[in-house]
Amino acid sequence: MLRSKDREKLMNAGIFVLLALLGGVAIYPFLWMISVSLEQNANVALPFPPRIIPEEFTFFHYTLVFENNRLLLAYWNSLIIAFFSVILSISSALLGGYAFSRGTFWGKRFLFFMVLATMMIPFETTLIPMFTMFNDFGMINTFYPLILPSIVNALGIILAKQYFDQLPEGLRESAKMDGAGEFLTFFAIFLPLTGPITATLAILSFQGSWNSFIWPLVVINDQMLKTVPLFLSSFSSENGSRLFGVTMATASMSILPILIVFLFLQKYIVRSVALSGLKGE
Amino acid sequence: MLQTKQKPRAKPVVGWKLAPRRESHAIWYVFLLPTIVGILLFTLYPLIESLRLSFTRGVGEQYVGFQNYANVLLSDTFWYAVYNTFYITFFQLLLAIPFGFLIACLINSLRRTSNFFKILFYIPNTTSMVAAATVFLAILHPDGPLNYVVELLGFERVVWLSQPLSAKWGAIILSVWHWLGFVIIVTLANLQAIPGEYYEAASMDGASRIQQWIWITIPNMVGSLTILFVLGWIGGLQRFSDAYMLGGLQGSPARSLHTVVGFIFERGFGGSEYGIASAAAYILFIFILIFTFLSTKLLRMKI
Repeated sequence: MLRSKDREKLMNAGIFVLLALLGGVAIYPFLWMISVSLEQNANVALPFPPRIIPEEFTFFHYTLVFENNRLLLAYWNSLIIAFFSVILSISSALLGGYAFSRGTFWGKRFLFFMVLATMMIPFETTLIPMFTMFNDFGMINTFYPLILPSIVNALGIILAKQYFDQLPEGLRESAKMDGAGEFLTFFAIFLPLTGPITATLAILSFQGSWNSFIWPLVVINDQMLKTVPLFLSSFSSENGSRLFGVTMATASMSILPILIVFLFLQKYIVRSVALSGLKGE
Repeated sequence: MLQTKQKPRAKPVVGWKLAPRRESHAIWYVFLLPTIVGILLFTLYPLIESLRLSFTRGVGEQYVGFQNYANVLLSDTFWYAVYNTFYITFFQLLLAIPFGFLIACLINSLRRTSNFFKILFYIPNTTSMVAAATVFLAILHPDGPLNYVVELLGFERVVWLSQPLSAKWGAIILSVWHWLGFVIIVTLANLQAIPGEYYEAASMDGASRIQQWIWITIPNMVGSLTILFVLGWIGGLQRFSDAYMLGGLQGSPARSLHTVVGFIFERGFGGSEYGIASAAAYILFIFILIFTFLSTKLLRMKI
């Protein structure tokens, strides 16, 4: 008995070491990015052979990044866009999810099908009319095209509907007995209970907004309005294969907010990703 | 298995019939107003407008019938972009799905530290493709870490982004690295949903761990592996950021990183050929529908 237990322990240790090695490979690009950004001569040439601990340590590249106000401006732009996108997408997802979960109304199945169908339409198919439409509105080089479309949030509606489905119907009955209408019931009784799902939706939406690239690339040309990915993209294409120190410092700064959000709220992200991946089953 | 558990949960049907049904149902449309307006304005209208544009040409939007479609389908550039997109996506899925599944199995067999590894492997997927590609531009640099490994293994240095084939493989390495965490999270969720009794019963019958893996784990994973395959194709066909970052607007070198969306982007916004770009966008849409349809058929067959 003891021997098989020992074998089990040994095997677990072996798996742990193997996973640690593989995980090291997976995370290596980030460690290397930080290392290059802190390396003294990285603006002249890449340190070769690659190392994790910089040979000559410096914060100089980061000071360069911060002295150039364009990155801070891009941060600010991305934050404003993300803030309003998150508010808009959460509102429409919670309201819609609640209606699909508790409502009885004509055309419910059809409308739900419509919502599902929007998930199957590739964004690229609507790219050109979206551009011409916002152009007609005079909204090119504003944040509106980056914020307003987040009101369509099919995955959010599905996740919210599933969440509301789990809440006891008794809540609604008692609110009704007290004479509350649907709106009051939603805002006073159900909304305060939506913490976990709101967190999930907020993260998904923040991540989507912060990381989106092709649509901002189409609608923003103004230097002052660039988002973080746009700034990073133009920075790395302008500097080609030089200035690695500053480029890596910029890249690591661009990753930082999303990484912080992730590490604090990873429980919700992991769950929502698992849900969205398994929803077809 | 999961379904049988959920079924007996009775719904308090009686209570809700007692509730006053006088209230107008119109209130629910108010709840759905943002979504309905959004779908009409940002999905349905652009979809129809895109179809209309795909039959027109020039600033005057002159009707040209199927000419744009014919132009796209007869264009070598387009088919090369299709080939590139399929090539990169095929190898991305071929490497990331089995490899991610194996890592998920390893993580699942650990008791205590599984959450730590789950987070560790998922980090690349949270970052933007633009940031990831910026780092990989340096990793794929002739003096970068990848070439260091190549030299350690005794091969000649590769100038990754200068040759069509190696540039594609650079994009594959980037996309596998970026997508692996997603595969791990999804397969891990499925692994944890397989009832433990299956394994207990099997080990009572004397099945080894490997036998259990082949006869219990894998059959139970078919569903989520197929889902990953579908999502992978849909996402892969829409790839743009990774190829654009590594290869620029034209997908250099020699258009080897030019993708279908890159084609739409280049013709639409580089050349203002809205008709051609819209036709290509509809062709992409049809590709995606075919893949979604085929894989849902496959799903039904297997489950």
